[in-house]
Amino acid sequence: MGMILKIALRNIGRHKRRTVLSAVTIAAGLVVFIYMDSALTGVDRMSVDNLITLSAGALKIQTLAYDKEKESFPLAYTLDSAMAPLLAALGKDKRVAHVTKRTQFLGQLSNYEETVPVIGTVVDPAADSLVFGLKPCLTGSYFDTGATRELIIGGQLARDLGVGVGDNITLYALTKYDSRNADVFRIAGVLSTADPAINRSGVFMTFAAANDFLDLENSATELDVAMPRGASLPQFSRTVRAVQKDIQRDFPSLRVNTFLDIGAGVMEITRAKRASGFIVMGIILIIAVVGIFNTVFMSVYERIREIGVLRAHGMKPSDISLMFVLEGMFTGLLGGVFGAAAGALVNLQLVTKGIPLEKIAGSMATASYGIAGNVYGEWNLPAMSAVFILGVAVATLAGVIPARRASKIQVTEALRFN
Amino acid sequence: MSLLDIKNVKKEYRKGDKSVIALRGVDITIEKGEFMAIVGPSGSGKSTLLNIVGCLDAPTSGSVLYNGRELFGMTEQQLSNYRRDNIAFIFQSYNLIPVLTVRENVELPLVIERKFSKQEMAKKALAVIESVGLGAMADRLPRELSGGQEQRVAIARALVKDPLVVLADEPTANLDSATAEEVISIMQTMNAERSTTFVFSTHDSRMERHARRIVTLRDGAIEKDERRR
Repeated sequence: MGMILKIALRNIGRHKRRTVLSAVTIAAGLVVFIYMDSALTGVDRMSVDNLITLSAGALKIQTLAYDKEKESFPLAYTLDSAMAPLLAALGKDKRVAHVTKRTQFLGQLSNYEETVPVIGTVVDPAADSLVFGLKPCLTGSYFDTGATRELIIGGQLARDLGVGVGDNITLYALTKYDSRNADVFRIAGVLSTADPAINRSGVFMTFAAANDFLDLENSATELDVAMPRGASLPQFSRTVRAVQKDIQRDFPSLRVNTFLDIGAGVMEITRAKRASGFIVMGIILIIAVVGIFNTVFMSVYERIREIGVLRAHGMKPSDISLMFVLEGMFTGLLGGVFGAAAGALVNLQLVTKGIPLEKIAGSMATASYGIAGNVYGEWNLPAMSAVFILGVAVATLAGVIPARRASKIQVTEALRFN
Repeated sequence: MSLLDIKNVKKEYRKGDKSVIALRGVDITIEKGEFMAIVGPSGSGKSTLLNIVGCLDAPTSGSVLYNGRELFGMTEQQLSNYRRDNIAFIFQSYNLIPVLTVRENVELPLVIERKFSKQEMAKKALAVIESVGLGAMADRLPRELSGGQEQRVAIARALVKDPLVVLADEPTANLDSATAEEVISIMQTMNAERSTTFVFSTHDSRMERHARRIVTLRDGAIEKDERRR
């Protein structure tokens, strides 16, 4: 084995240019994959973060009846009777960080010239900012708990209606008892978030305001739960699912949805993006396979006489084959190590500085992913290791066919070969 | 005592519809310690005969007996082992492995044989490299050697495992006269000192001159088989 290894290793150095070319192909594949995977993982994390912090929370609890008709945001199906035991149970659960109640309703916002349909959200300002992250996206001021005549509205909505912070605007909606109501509110703040739904049609008011405007009587249609996000996304998802299962078991008349259920669309995009990453990687690996196949084949062709000599001295065909397979493997290793190192270097830039995707692709493109601003990469060591191993394995396998061919060459033919 | 009995060996090559008869029923007995030349014009069957004696190629019919045992009744693996343990080759164009040093090239048959420790292999290899006069060049690569030096390394490689038979196909064909004489002299010394059997094909009259037995082939058959004292 030692001699076979020695011959294989030295032959790699014998045709430096060819070896380097094959190794560079593999390395390029690895770099592209590491970069793409990092960017996509980063986008995924940012999309999920935004989903959790802007609209879904970790968990959203509603009544079964509300869940069935949630598209119409019915104010009739409130959590009133379940609220106390639910809050007590969540309060005891150490996996839960914060809880806030919300009520959503349909309405229309008008500047007297134009009327735009909106989705209103009634919030408890103090508790809401512990679960959701609207405040950092706000221009103007966040409202006090007792504010009764103020709204916070989405940035695009404000632009569509030509209004801004401090302006008055009229809101129309059906009350809890289905009577129409309209009132004038002052715009306390304008939100510019990564969630296009909030930007285009989001209107926020306090429970104090909604008690007057919607006859809400402090009723909430949903309870939103925040959970600590230290762990990786898969681990966080598992914890959230576990809490969901427990609440669902204890409160069968309620419907508990996780951010994974609510953001199924985003998750679908995530899966599609990942698949596209693997397709690109696959194409590059096919190129690498062809390169290495060619390299080892050329090597076999050029060394037919050598193969004959080794066979004449009694070397087994399997050892001849192993020698060429090792050459493929070492070429793969060379490319793999170089690719992983270069990939790590490129990724360092992506992780620390990010790429200004919004500037490059525009806000519409980033909004479809539920993100805004720069995209930052992520270190994904399991994926990097897997793709390194895959690269080496593919290179090794690419050498198998020419190696088998080499082992089957007739000794006399090989010795006669010129 | 006969080492190899070649009995009525025929070899026919087929290329599509055409067939070429390389050997037409050759009978030779090779004794241990012989220094034997196979001569004849190109296409007379010299290389084919050497390949069959070395088990690199199988005869179309006939038999080759080694110590009374039929070689071509063996499996491919047994033949490979027989070749590894008993036969060594010297080629016209030396055929050293270019990425291995002189010492590593000479060690190669021992490595394939897997009978000796690393230290024993190194010792045996260096001893035989010394005996062909290349002790100072043990760590050089083949590309750093002259043709004659390369052929001496090839002889060392052939002799390192103390084979029963060394088969050499035109070993001096690519060498100048002085170098050829050196190579012949080394082969003769090894034959005398170790009783190694040498069978070589040649066109070279210098080699013929030194052979103690000359088998002349013509059109795949033995024309003459003469022994010298």
